[in-house]
Amino acid sequence: MTVIARRLAGHLARGIVMILVVATISFFIVRSIPGDPVAANVQKLIEQGMAPEAAEQATRVLYGFQPTGSLWQQYTDYMAGLLTFDLGQSVTHAGAPVTQVLGEAAKWTVLPVLAGTLLSFLVGIILGVYAAIKRTGKLGDILAISGSLLHGVPQYVLGLLLSAIFATLIPILPADGPVDILFEPGFNAGYIGSLVEHAVLPVVTYALAAYGGWILAMKSSVVTVLGDDFILAAELRGMKRSIIFRYIARNAILPLFTILALSLGLLLGGAVFIERIFNYPGLGLLLLDSITMRDYALMGGAFLLITAAIIVANIIADLFYSVIDPRVRSGEEVGA
Amino acid sequence: MTKSAPGVRIDGLTVVYKTPAGELPAVRDVRLTLEPGTITGIVGESGSGKSTLALSLLNAVQPPGRISAGSVEIDGLGDVVGLRNEQLRKARGKHIGYVFQAAQNSLNPLKTVGKQLLDLGRSHGVNDLPGLVREARELLGRMGLDGARVLDSHQHELSGGMRQRVGIMLALVLNAHLVVLDEPTTALDMITQANILKIVREVHAERGLTTLVITHDIGVVAEVADRLAVMYGGRLVEQGPTREVLGAPRHPYTKGLIKAIPRLVGDIDEAQALPGRPPTLATVPAEGCVFRERCPLRMDVCDTVDPEARVDAGAGGPRAVACHAVTVKEHA
Amino acid sequence: MSVLLESTSTSAAMRRNFWSGVWRVMKRKPSRLVGVVLMAGFVFMGLFGPLFYADPLPRDPSMLTRPPSWEHWLGTDDQGRDVIALVVTGSRYVLLAALVTAVITVVLGTAIGLFSGFKRGRWDTVLMRLTDMKLTIPGLPLLLVLSTVWKFNSAVQMGLVLGLLSWGGVARAVRAQTLSLRERGFIEAARGLGLSTTHIVGKELLPSMAPYIAMNMLIAITGGVYSQVGLFFLGVLPYESNNWGQMLNTAVFRSGALTVPSALGFLLGPLLAILLLTLAIVLVIDAMDEIFNPRLREE
Repeated sequence: MTVIARRLAGHLARGIVMILVVATISFFIVRSIPGDPVAANVQKLIEQGMAPEAAEQATRVLYGFQPTGSLWQQYTDYMAGLLTFDLGQSVTHAGAPVTQVLGEAAKWTVLPVLAGTLLSFLVGIILGVYAAIKRTGKLGDILAISGSLLHGVPQYVLGLLLSAIFATLIPILPADGPVDILFEPGFNAGYIGSLVEHAVLPVVTYALAAYGGWILAMKSSVVTVLGDDFILAAELRGMKRSIIFRYIARNAILPLFTILALSLGLLLGGAVFIERIFNYPGLGLLLLDSITMRDYALMGGAFLLITAAIIVANIIADLFYSVIDPRVRSGEEVGA
Repeated sequence: MTKSAPGVRIDGLTVVYKTPAGELPAVRDVRLTLEPGTITGIVGESGSGKSTLALSLLNAVQPPGRISAGSVEIDGLGDVVGLRNEQLRKARGKHIGYVFQAAQNSLNPLKTVGKQLLDLGRSHGVNDLPGLVREARELLGRMGLDGARVLDSHQHELSGGMRQRVGIMLALVLNAHLVVLDEPTTALDMITQANILKIVREVHAERGLTTLVITHDIGVVAEVADRLAVMYGGRLVEQGPTREVLGAPRHPYTKGLIKAIPRLVGDIDEAQALPGRPPTLATVPAEGCVFRERCPLRMDVCDTVDPEARVDAGAGGPRAVACHAVTVKEHA
Repeated sequence: MSVLLESTSTSAAMRRNFWSGVWRVMKRKPSRLVGVVLMAGFVFMGLFGPLFYADPLPRDPSMLTRPPSWEHWLGTDDQGRDVIALVVTGSRYVLLAALVTAVITVVLGTAIGLFSGFKRGRWDTVLMRLTDMKLTIPGLPLLLVLSTVWKFNSAVQMGLVLGLLSWGGVARAVRAQTLSLRERGFIEAARGLGLSTTHIVGKELLPSMAPYIAMNMLIAITGGVYSQVGLFFLGVLPYESNNWGQMLNTAVFRSGALTVPSALGFLLGPLLAILLLTLAIVLVIDAMDEIFNPRLREE
């Protein structure tokens, strides 16, 4: 277990450094936006009849740092606020804390991304095994080329095409937000049915965009394992085909789990397009809206959260790997 | 049916590989008999076709290779070249045990040895799985390992010598009486080599096996084999009782091989490497003797006619040599 | 003299061999030829396409946002301009920015990767940590955030920013290649022969990696197109000149292409262009892979 603990500690240390770096980036971006929105806010409040002290205090609450003093003081103030998860307030959400707004939005991003990724993972690895076995035939070729094509095409192209076909041309699926407003939110069939119906297009888009990558990755992984000695050895020992297939599958999927966790993290960042197209009020759309509405505290927070998600995904991927691969698990004994 | 050491008769065996330049033979017209209860060693340089020959015994030549002619008759099984699918699968492991080269990873890295043993048992319809585990533990113990611990280990937790013993255990645990060992000692240190060879000899005698050892190391053959066959360029150039062949080699290639071994006692300069390089699949001559390019006794006839193996009964068993020069000399 | 003649004739023969190899690879899967033709078409479109149309494009107030017809194969936009003409004239901006992106990505990535793999030691550690960090920060959100302070004024500037943000992957890959060449004793052997570092890098390392770098460059071009079109589509950048992302943005958010079928042609134009470009590059990379990777060539 010590191996895992040590790896975890290393990851955490690096993750914290990364979060500090990203927080720094977003702080300095907010501070260098043309027109200085922070100072402008103080000014505006004073003009509205607020005392300068009170205006500064209100701005501090809004942005998460004291707007006066040197840049360095402002920076340390902002970073200290981070420690208590104080990211400021969102002007566009009636002064709600940024963390709370982010929490609301996260659920609309995480669930579709999770569903879409798992769907494409399942379909992709099955077709990938097939593409590996039939790699010299016509079907293998078609699978590989369609895989690279789908892998190459950006998410928003797929999203727009799907939306154009299934929501506009043959309007059988909704593409306008996460749920019909007609239904009372809660645990009732109408509401849940509407949720599911609205989720179909975004989830399928996530899945289609990712599935090409899975086919390619699984194919090359299976091809590698097929060339391993132990597969031939199992054949020469007269092992049953079903058992050999299990050996191949388990060894080939192993490296893909790492990519799975990583892609979950990355997709959170890529959700901007799909949420924009399907009008899903998730983190991506929140980031985009915060930029167009000049809600800079929210922008910084969303950016920070998306990066943090990727870092966490990295850590989970590595831990997961060490749990399922005995070679990593007992890494220490191998060395000894 | 109580099993006893089976005999093997390989006749006219030819294995070809499909390449861009057409189908090229890796093993050509090989005739070899493994007498029941003996250890036979096949010696050759890499690329001589010895591993392909070993795989042919299980009808397991990997694509793009295939057995294009000949037969491999094994007592109790018949001609394995004609076996297909399930029959073939059941023969592998149960009748013929195959032990991989030590350097190769012949175990699934994600499963313990014990779990793979159970997979093997299930594949061959063994009902008494606890019995199988007991048998495996005994075999491992017989080879000087802590059976229970080994069965509980993953491949990466075992040393090269331990892996090799696990390989031998998996080849024997289903009670196979024909065992093929492919480079059993390559990549092992000297002491482990000696241990493994001792184990091979003892287990062979105890269980009454017919054993085939493939190696590039004449020392290994001298150590364990009753009979010795020398391969070159896909052809069997000489075979006979180990002692006779090593003591009085006839084929110029065999002579060259033995001369190339450095002795512990004596002048290092006495060891002479064979000039030239062994042929590859693409450079092996299509007609005539395969060895002629490096042969000190080359004659005109060697360019066109492939020498037949001439068999004569020796004191310790039949001997065969395939060389024009040897034939001419004896008739002269 | 005769030696000289012989060597030139062999190199000529080798070159002929290479081209016949290329031809064989192309012929084996005709789809690859399609890829090459498509790619040539895009280059032509970017270079000369805009010359075929009047600037500014003619507007037809009686034909606003129309579906495809004989006159306008993909319909018209919200100002009555022909969608195909818009795609063609917009391609110059898109492809130029993508090319700049790709050049910067590849030059920067190759330089950093080579340096890191060649020097190893402390430099390598620092550079690779930096690369890892860069790869961890999600590209699109970073671009969005940056768009608040950084105005992308022209295609070249656009390409510059995208290039500066996307060298990470190439640097990693080139470093790995350099290290593997080093492992094979390549560099030590050249050192032993007394060759200078510039010679080793310029004459030995780079040529052996050239095909790989070229493939990365093609991938970087698609990456450049995607991010740039995506940014314009999201509408976070001010309107510069006519381009595909701008068209998508107008089609979806102004003409309501996702609710009104009549604007579908408007939406489809840039989408088709992106799909065809992706197809072209995937097919060409597939062919290059086989030409330069002899391992894949066997049946």
